[in-house]
Amino acid sequence: MKTALRLLMPVAAVFLVDCTSTKTATTPAPVAATTQVNATDALDDYDTVPVSDPLEPLNRATFALNHGLYKVLFRPIAKGYTSITPKPVRQGVDNAFENAKFPIRFVNSSLQGKFKRAGKEVQKFGVNTFAGFGGLIKQSDRMPSLAEVPSEDTGQTLATWAIGHGPFLVLPLFGPSSAREAVGLVGDYALNPVNWLFKLRGGAEKTEWIPSAVNTVRSLPDQLQRYDSSRANSVDPYVSVRSVFYQNRQAASDQ
Amino acid sequence: MNRRSLLTFVVSFACSSVSWSAPATEAESFLKQAVDEVLAVSDRASNPSALADKVRPILQRYISFETMARRAVGPGWRQFAPDQQKKATQLFTTLVIRSYSSKFTPGERPVMSYQAAVAPAAGRVDVPTKLVYRGSRYSVTYRLEQEGSWKITDVVIEGVSLIANYRTQLDAKFKAGGAPAVITSLEQSVSRPK
Repeated sequence: MKTALRLLMPVAAVFLVDCTSTKTATTPAPVAATTQVNATDALDDYDTVPVSDPLEPLNRATFALNHGLYKVLFRPIAKGYTSITPKPVRQGVDNAFENAKFPIRFVNSSLQGKFKRAGKEVQKFGVNTFAGFGGLIKQSDRMPSLAEVPSEDTGQTLATWAIGHGPFLVLPLFGPSSAREAVGLVGDYALNPVNWLFKLRGGAEKTEWIPSAVNTVRSLPDQLQRYDSSRANSVDPYVSVRSVFYQNRQAASDQ
Repeated sequence: MNRRSLLTFVVSFACSSVSWSAPATEAESFLKQAVDEVLAVSDRASNPSALADKVRPILQRYISFETMARRAVGPGWRQFAPDQQKKATQLFTTLVIRSYSSKFTPGERPVMSYQAAVAPAAGRVDVPTKLVYRGSRYSVTYRLEQEGSWKITDVVIEGVSLIANYRTQLDAKFKAGGAPAVITSLEQSVSRPK
């Protein structure tokens, strides 16, 4: 853990410098109408703010490549997984892996000074682990005080620390991201216990890779569904996916 | 504060709170009615495309597609000729209905809970809801505006506004090739099989 974080620091620092120097912008999010220059009527507050996407040609190429890779690689895996496991089993597996991600949510709630939320994460983890058979059943959903705890991650922590997105990036396989959110992904990876065994033993010789691999497979159907719905019925799938990404991350860090 | 100004203060406060809460309640019950009607129909539909056909007349009663299309295009809309505006609205309507109904799996009923509505501006009410659908939780905010009667003008799912999303895409098309480019891209999108 410690070594992972230590490794993360220089990487983060490089990106952070880059991010703060870049003036970032988000896709139109409903903001209060102050200037009506771009408005079509009095209640139109959707402003078209340019997105920082200097790598657009490369991003578009990676986007197209990913689309192909999803088709030949991820979709068959996701299909295989959903066909051999019944829905309740998948739900249980998802619950267990999401429960295990507790350190991501706890550490990041704390880093943002949201200590009440961090406390709720502890309660949630306790309830789901002990009363939900190791997290297979999400008992916390039945408790009104714990059902709606917004989950925090490293990208949101960086946003809270007033670090801008930096340029938009389409990562191979991972899809839409930004300089800041890519650093966030590294942080989340380091904080996810599922990857600890793999990291600590430092190799894929024996069985250490299994938890990470299972985690990837089980999350595929959901991620593909999200990808599909953000490009479905779009006019320009690339722009649509980018806009969904920025709006989604904005909403998450606003919470 | 003398007695008269206190009275003015109390009265004006009472009036203002009434004028803020009444539209919110009105808009909320309008939305509930719309959701109930859609759910009643979606329960009986066998597949998403049949659902799209069935919900169309209902959605047209509750959603202002004209406002949606105008805002989705953005400032360029003023340079559309009336027949171009009509054409763009028609295409956009089809696209929105399709994208809305593709989110449903017939037979799976979402559980919705309504939260306190807010009125960010006069004539406008946002109704936040929580949705539990097929084991996942979503936050969905409906944006309503008073256009004679109340109408839905935007749906924000997990922070993603339908209109803001189309605005980025269509604004770029407009800047590249004006109204014809917007209409062509909408046509292509409608004719693309999902």
